[in-house]
Order: sequence, then structure tokens, then C-alpha cells
Amino acid sequence: MNGGSEVVSYLIVLLFLTSLLMNFTDIPQRIQLQRFSSFVRRKLYVLEEMESDARRKAVAYLSAAGIREASKVLDGFVDNFFLIRPVEMEPTDIIKRLRHLIRTRESSVRDYVRRVLGTAERSVQYSVETVLEVVSVLRLLNKLVRHYLELGLKHNNWILVMQLAIQMPEILEIAKAYANSVDAFTSGMPIGDGAGPLVAKMLVGWGEPRREIVEGTDLYEAEVEGRKVYAIKASGPGSNVGWPGEALEKLVGELGGAVDRIITVDAALKLESEETGEVAYGTGAAIGDLGPEKIAIERVAGNYSIPLDAVVVKMSEAEALGPLTKKIHEGVVKAYEVVRRTIVEKVREGGTVIVVGVGNTVGIR
Amino acid sequence: MLVQQVNPLLILLLAALIMLSLMALMPWLFSLSRSRSKAVREEVVELVGCPKCGHEYSRKYERGSYVGKEVGACPRGDGPLVVKAIYVERHEGPE
Ligand SMILES: [Zn+2]
Repeated sequence: MNGGSEVVSYLIVLLFLTSLLMNFTDIPQRIQLQRFSSFVRRKLYVLEEMESDARRKAVAYLSAAGIREASKVLDGFVDNFFLIRPVEMEPTDIIKRLRHLIRTRESSVRDYVRRVLGTAERSVQYSVETVLEVVSVLRLLNKLVRHYLELGLKHNNWILVMQLAIQMPEILEIAKAYANSVDAFTSGMPIGDGAGPLVAKMLVGWGEPRREIVEGTDLYEAEVEGRKVYAIKASGPGSNVGWPGEALEKLVGELGGAVDRIITVDAALKLESEETGEVAYGTGAAIGDLGPEKIAIERVAGNYSIPLDAVVVKMSEAEALGPLTKKIHEGVVKAYEVVRRTIVEKVREGGTVIVVGVGNTVGIR
Repeated sequence: MLVQQVNPLLILLLAALIMLSLMALMPWLFSLSRSRSKAVREEVVELVGCPKCGHEYSRKYERGSYVGKEVGACPRGDGPLVVKAIYVERHEGPE
């Protein structure tokens, strides 16, 4: 017997035993559970880092805005102000109920901020609200990930932990988008989601609003080649999305339905294969709220039989929340040209058209 | 002789071991080759222009500026200059 073949026989026995252990016990799953949970834990550190970073920036911003005990104010906000969705099993007047809940929540957030902020400019107040909301989204993401990780470990549910680990990169991307948006909101620069308001602003020649038609939403008037153009956008330059649906409802009511066309402009999530800043047009209400504003636009267009067009500028979620980039600005210029062409080609001379610039108007008056 | 002493099965097992460890190291090797990314410089600019005559130029963004803000008069004397847009420009390459 030489040394070589002895080693080989040991190795073969070892291989046989290992294969038994790996195939007929749940040791591999345990090992995987360990591996995946340590992966999730590592990513959780990154998430926590993002949250505390956003928190730091938010506290600095709130203090600069004149709020005393800013971190206490932040803590008082992040875990509160949730919204319970109305019952969907009975859809009668569900939009009315949802709309009521959204307005109630909005006004209680506003009261909370007003109480700590005192008499500040409205744009500052809106931006403070948004910064608080962003930090609470990060807090929620963090809590959810931790919840599923702990639940999976508690019940040895390796499938749950594995699923979580596989989804982690996507979750981190969303969290990163929110974490980066704090910079944009605190510095007051326009963000990608401001594409709609920017198109509306271009259309009226960067002029001043005629009046505030509903709370936090401005109405502009202009003329494009003999057509009367009404433009609706949120009041800036604070972080604000306004109530575009309610504003449109009110305006069309005031005009007695004498409107030839409604055009909504918004930022839209691009597919992975699409380029940032691509512009597309179609039919319907281009708006991504929870429902009440969108249905208001659809109802008013339907009730008065006014054609409803949609123009969108494509971008990723991170780009929508981050500072406006040159590529998106090029898309905005393209969308402006599409809207202008639609007005000239599809609205008769002397006709009336309403353009709704949907999105967050931070950094855009 | 040395060659005769070594069992072909042993070689096979050793080869399998090397293959396995290489596969385990694969992601790390890939990340090493990919980590050298280009330096990107970001600059925030604002587009200032006259809505009437189309006179337009871009300059560095100033904190507190916003789209629609009046920033002086048009040199051609037909109205105010306004900030038309604010955006981030990316330049690839070294500073
Ligand atoms: Zn001019």
C-alpha cells in the first residue's frame, strides 16, 4: 500500500459522508440561512447608515429653519402620522373617504409643523414637511427589513430570509433615492419629478401666477398662437405637489366646461431598457397620486367630454427624487415642444386649453 | 518513480478542489476588475434668460435661486431676466 491510495480512500469516504449530510439533512439550509442573514445584516448596516445620515441632515436643516430641539421634533414625527387605507371591500364613495383621510392627514402634519416652526414662509414649511416625510420613509424601510429578518430567524424560515436577501439590492436602491433626495429638498433645487411643473412654467413664459386657485396650487394664463392657455401647477418654490385634480375641477367649473382640451404633463417611471429623458405622449391623466386627484381629472374630462392627453418624461425613481439632471432637462424641453405642438395642431384658433403640470415643484416658483 | 506513485483519482480530486475554490472566488475577482470607474465631476448650473427675446446664458447655481426668479434686466432692454432652469451637469474625466 502506498501513501497516495490511502489518502484517496479517506477522501472518498469523506466525500461519501459529506454527500449524505448535504443531501439528507437540512444542514445546507441552515448554512444558507446563516449566509443570507449575514448578508442582510451587512446591508442593514448600510440602510441604518443612510437613515442616520438623512436624520443628521434633516436635523441640521430644521435647526437652520429656526426649530428648537430639532431631533425631538423629528422623533415625534417619524413613527406617527400613518394613514389607514379605507375599506376596499365596499367601494361605494371610497374615493371620497380616501380623499377625506388624505386631507385630514395633510392638515394634521401641517399643524404639527406649524406648531414647531411658528410663522415661517410657506415654502420653508412645505420643505420641512417633505424632509420629515423622507426621514420617516427611511425609518419605515429600515424597520420592515429588520422585521422580516428577525421573523425569519425566529422561525428558522430560511425561505423568508433568502427572499429578503434577494430583494435587498432593490430595497437599497429605493432607500438610496430617498436618502439622496434630502440634499435636494434642503438645498431647494428642482428635482426630476419637477418635470411637469417646469413644462407648465415654460409654457407661460416663466411669468407670475394669476391667482392661487386652491390651497397650494397656482393658476397661470397665457396665449399660444391665438389659443388661450390655462396652466395649473403647485405653488413653489417650496417642496409641494398641490391639489391638481381639485384645481382642474374648479377651473373647468368656472369656465362652464368651455374647454377644448386638457393636457397633463408628468414624470413617469422608465423601464430599464428606456433612456432617461425620453418623452412619450398618450391619452389619460398622467399623475401618480393615491387616487383622488387622478379620478378628479378623469371625471371632469369625462363629464364635459373634454379630450384628455398625457405627456410624460421618463426617468428612474432615483432620478425622480434626485436633483434635476441635464438629460431630464432636455426631456423637459422636448415635452414642452410636444405640448406646444399638440395645442397648435389639436386646438382650434381662439380655443381654450388647460395644461396641468403634475409633480413636486421644489425650486420652481 | 514519483509519477507512478500518484493516483489519478487524487489528481482528479485536487483538480475539483481548485475548480470549486476558483468558483467561490469568482465574484470577488469580477468586482476587482470592475471597481476602476471613471471620475465624475458634477456641477449645478442655472440657465438665465430673457423670455421675450431669447437671450440666454448659463452660470453657476447660487443657493436660494429658483426657477422663475428675476435676476436683473435684459441687456437688450425689453424686460427682466429670469432663471429658466436649474440642473446638474456631469463631466466625466479628471478635474
Ligand atoms: Zn431680452
